Amino acid sequence: MVSYVVRRVLLGLLTVFLVLLLLHLLTTLAIQLNGNPALAFFGDHVPSASQLHAVEVRYGLDDPCYDQPGNPCLRPFWERLAQYAHGDFGTDLQGRPLTELIAQAVPNTLRLFVIVTITWLIIGMMLGSVAARFRGRPIDHSIRLTSVLIDAFPVFVMLVVYRFIFTVPLTTWARRTFGSDSVPALLFKPSYSDSHPWLTLIVPGLLLGLTGCAPFLRLVRAAQLENYNAEHVRTARSKGLSNAHVTGYHIVRNSSVPVVTAVGFVFADALSGAVITEGVMNIRGMGNLLWQSVQKSDVSVVIGVVTILSVVTIGVMLLVDLAYAALDPRIRYD
Amino acid sequence: MTASVAVDLDVSTDRQGGTWAAVGRHMLRRPDVIIATAISVFFILVAALPGLFTRTDPQRCDISVAKLKPRGFGHPHPFGTDVSGCDVLAQLVHGARPSLLLAFTVVGASLIIGITLGLLSGFYLGWVDAVVSRLLEVFLVIPLLLAALLLLSLFRNIDAGDSDFATIVQPAIVLTGFGWMGYTRYVRAAVLESKNLDYVRAARALGASDLRLMFSHILPNAIAAVTALVPTAIAGVISAEAVLAFLGIGVRPPAISWGIMISTGAPWFTGGYPYLLLLPLGCLLATVLSFVVIGDNLRDALDPKLK
Repeated sequence: MVSYVVRRVLLGLLTVFLVLLLLHLLTTLAIQLNGNPALAFFGDHVPSASQLHAVEVRYGLDDPCYDQPGNPCLRPFWERLAQYAHGDFGTDLQGRPLTELIAQAVPNTLRLFVIVTITWLIIGMMLGSVAARFRGRPIDHSIRLTSVLIDAFPVFVMLVVYRFIFTVPLTTWARRTFGSDSVPALLFKPSYSDSHPWLTLIVPGLLLGLTGCAPFLRLVRAAQLENYNAEHVRTARSKGLSNAHVTGYHIVRNSSVPVVTAVGFVFADALSGAVITEGVMNIRGMGNLLWQSVQKSDVSVVIGVVTILSVVTIGVMLLVDLAYAALDPRIRYD
Repeated sequence: MTASVAVDLDVSTDRQGGTWAAVGRHMLRRPDVIIATAISVFFILVAALPGLFTRTDPQRCDISVAKLKPRGFGHPHPFGTDVSGCDVLAQLVHGARPSLLLAFTVVGASLIIGITLGLLSGFYLGWVDAVVSRLLEVFLVIPLLLAALLLLSLFRNIDAGDSDFATIVQPAIVLTGFGWMGYTRYVRAAVLESKNLDYVRAARALGASDLRLMFSHILPNAIAAVTALVPTAIAGVISAEAVLAFLGIGVRPPAISWGIMISTGAPWFTGGYPYLLLLPLGCLLATVLSFVVIGDNLRDALDPKLK
């Protein structure tokens, strides 16, 4: 078991390194083909050569390799890795350290994730279990149809429809009925508000969770169906155990192992969804930070944020793998 | 040698024909599949031959007829005009092309990459497998939309030209680059399962080359799993394209796509022009939904265990 954990962690570190290398190579190629990102610092006015050089030095873009298309630019890569290793993630174009920006953004994204995960677990587990229990009956068919419908709605469609069609009448109604600072009025507020972080995040989180729960639901259903026909379940039934006991202890519990691991797989999807959600609903989280820096061509922030999010994803996948190994005694550690 | 080749082919096509005929029968019994197929064929036709459905040029916009409400067919602007006076029907019709072209390009390219890598890594194992697995994990942990956001914004000043294909080439590369992993996993698993079966060993003992083993003996076992993924993947790419266009980094104006129409039409919904949002949204959802329905039923037909 220990050697398995060590090996998985080492492999995870290797993946982190490769992801960083890939991102570096892609950005380098973009800079070489696309021109100098240091120009973004000056906005519309044209800098003198010495001003430009000063900015290039400050953001580590002064290496001549950035002017030679095809050059992998490994030297600045090692320098950046060394900086990252010291906890220095650079600054944005206004000179604010990236760590500070991220520290501000992370809580909101985490809140969003908490809501999304709870939505997934509740909706996915409930509907999935019901569909498996009543397999082939009308309720199973309607749940499956719902999951197909959910699949067909991209996250951004849900959000756009909600934001541009529902929020305005809903807020007006809630404000008129309950007062402008009441809970329902804040719940349906079309954009995020700093003073009520949880309330204004609930609906976007629910929508994001809803769009992601279809694969989850299908997985729960498939995992439970496998158990319904399994021999240990037939044995339990033939012992005369009650239906509720068999379902609760022998089916739902046994089939939750693959479900737990699925959280890891859909995590990356949820991260993509979070970027859109935060963009459309103006939530000041990681996705919004990324989106703003993309608009401002703030390359160092973009690389920093994507790097951190990828590392987090690797971490989550690693944890899920380890949890899988710990939960399922049939997994061999070799 | 030639004789044995002929026999091989006969056997394999026979078996395939049996499976696929059963799948076809299963699909044709379902009314939702028939409706979904009709809708997707209709939109594919729209994308391929826009001239059949509208004669108006979507790019010729006359501000003096801006914001006309839909009046029905027979009027010069049957679905009305948008904020800058462009014909909505013409835009809808011409907006189908980038989405569908992108979807088929991306899925086709990812299939080729995914199947090749999956075959190689499952067949040879060893270092090939180690390299492919690392590569797979690297691409898997970078969320698709983050990668698209990063790359498309970094490369946004590069002009590829104005042709139909040039407007989608950048999103196509990015979506393919981060879309091949699913196929590789399925193919690799199927290869591992079937490469030690007796008939494969027999073919190897008869002196079949690696290529021949891979393509005519092992690959057919993986086709079912991969086919079930394709319609869903097409639907995924269409909605990903709409998201990218909505964010302003996918297909860009002056090219038209449903995503762009949704993003420009959305703010006008409450202003009294709901059709500017509802029409492109309806087209997008109808297309995505019909591909998802086909994919879902195909998965059931190919994997009866889950029915």
